[in-house]
Amino acid sequence: MYAFYFKSLIHSLPLFFKGLWITILVSGISLVAGTVLGIICGIFRTVKRWGLSRIMGAYADYMRGVPFLVHIFIIYFILPEVGIQLEPFPAAAIALTIYAGAYISEIVAAGILSVPRGQREAATAYGLNAFQQMRHIVFPQAFKVILPPLVGEYVLLIKDSSIVSVIGLTDVTRVGWLTVQRIPEGIMVFGLVGILYFVICYPLIHLSHILEKKVSYDAQ
Amino acid sequence: MIRFNDVNKWFGANHVLKDINLHIQPGEAVVICGPSGSGKSTLIRCINQLEPIQKGEIFVDNIQVNKRATNLTRLRSQIGFVFQQFNLYPHLSVLENVVLSPIKVKKIARREAEENARELLERVGIPDKADDYPSQLSGGQCQRVAIARGLAMNPKVMLFDEPTSALDPEMIKEVLDVMVELAVEGMTMIVVTHEMGFAREVAHRVFFMDEGQIVESNAPDAFFDHPAHERTKAFLSKIITHN
Ligand SMILES: Nc1ncnc2c1ncn2[C@@H]1O[C@H](COP(=O)(O)OP(=O)(O)OP(=O)(O)O)[C@@H](O)[C@H]1O
Ligand SMILES: [Mg+2]
Repeated sequence: MYAFYFKSLIHSLPLFFKGLWITILVSGISLVAGTVLGIICGIFRTVKRWGLSRIMGAYADYMRGVPFLVHIFIIYFILPEVGIQLEPFPAAAIALTIYAGAYISEIVAAGILSVPRGQREAATAYGLNAFQQMRHIVFPQAFKVILPPLVGEYVLLIKDSSIVSVIGLTDVTRVGWLTVQRIPEGIMVFGLVGILYFVICYPLIHLSHILEKKVSYDAQ
Repeated sequence: MIRFNDVNKWFGANHVLKDINLHIQPGEAVVICGPSGSGKSTLIRCINQLEPIQKGEIFVDNIQVNKRATNLTRLRSQIGFVFQQFNLYPHLSVLENVVLSPIKVKKIARREAEENARELLERVGIPDKADDYPSQLSGGQCQRVAIARGLAMNPKVMLFDEPTSALDPEMIKEVLDVMVELAVEGMTMIVVTHEMGFAREVAHRVFFMDEGQIVESNAPDAFFDHPAHERTKAFLSKIITHN
């Protein structure tokens, strides 16, 4: 029986790879969009004007205080009631983007605030405007601090993307659910799902460790 | 060159500068000393508007700096500022530290800016450090790079905020030597420092500040040898025994 199930699992492999591709696609898009969003919001978070810092703080707190499952339900099931009907893929990508964006904004803000005040002061005294200061002085220094937790956040994003299977997006997790109905060997099927996630996450985890070591080495 | 008319500044309820009036001539070198918290740093930081003032007027080269219409970028590119903690950009090489503002703010061509920067590094005595990073330099070398960075803007005024107090004793002289040379060449400069040797050698006037006021100002020899105010005397006796 075992061998039989194993064989049919092998036959289903193309389905798993298709699912994996959807997982990579939806998390890849949200990763890029969420990074852009997170950098913008993170910079705004450090601006002490126009209430920007507070608005961004509220956004981050809301996103972090409510489970991702609820966000995706709101976007996929509640928004249609006000006339915004989205397909599963864009709904999933948007939910992941604003979710990751909130976490990334915190990471970016912390990185920017880690740059000593004297750096901005010197740049101000030497005539650089706010944008030039960010571009040439603050961001390059903040970047080293931001990078390791940012990569860590990407790993979380990829894993969190498994939740989008609840709105019917056929990512690798949903392929697992569908397959287990034909092949009732949960350990085998979800073992494979787990391995596939691990294969894409592990290089990032490793990268994050390397970056962390490099940053603490540079700081000495 | 620099004029303060009844300048007042508060940090919240803390009245930090009280009715400051002063007038500094082109080519003059002025030393400001005084106890910690008396407002020395704040005073010179107001000149390039690192700190805003709440009352009074400040003029640099006949342009009022504390006005909305003032082009702060232009103002700041005429004023070199040297910080106690150097505040070099740690992610940029020495050369890049020096050329950044000339290129980005003054829009000078990179080649010209680099040539000028190398000349300045030679002048402050570290021509061979252009490609090093600040973390590879000693404190004294860092401060000399900071001075070169200030001079690279070809400023009309140089401001120094305790440029030697973060340095080990054996490095103080190399920085002071550069500053002495600048003063001798006729740079207008305001230096917050307790280095009395420097003050006696090149300062035209010494100001004593206490609790937000300029209590006394005089030529250096008269200032140190015959201080007029009790507070000045008390302060001088402290730094003399301390040295
Ligand atoms: N950014 C700030 N916010 C609030 N108060 C400040 C700030 N900077 C300075 N002060 C206060 O203003 C007063 C003058 O400070 P300032 O730094 O000008 O003194 P100083 O004479 O340079 O002292 P020191 O010799 O310690 O450098 C102090 O009471 C200080 O606490
Ligand atoms: Mg000070």
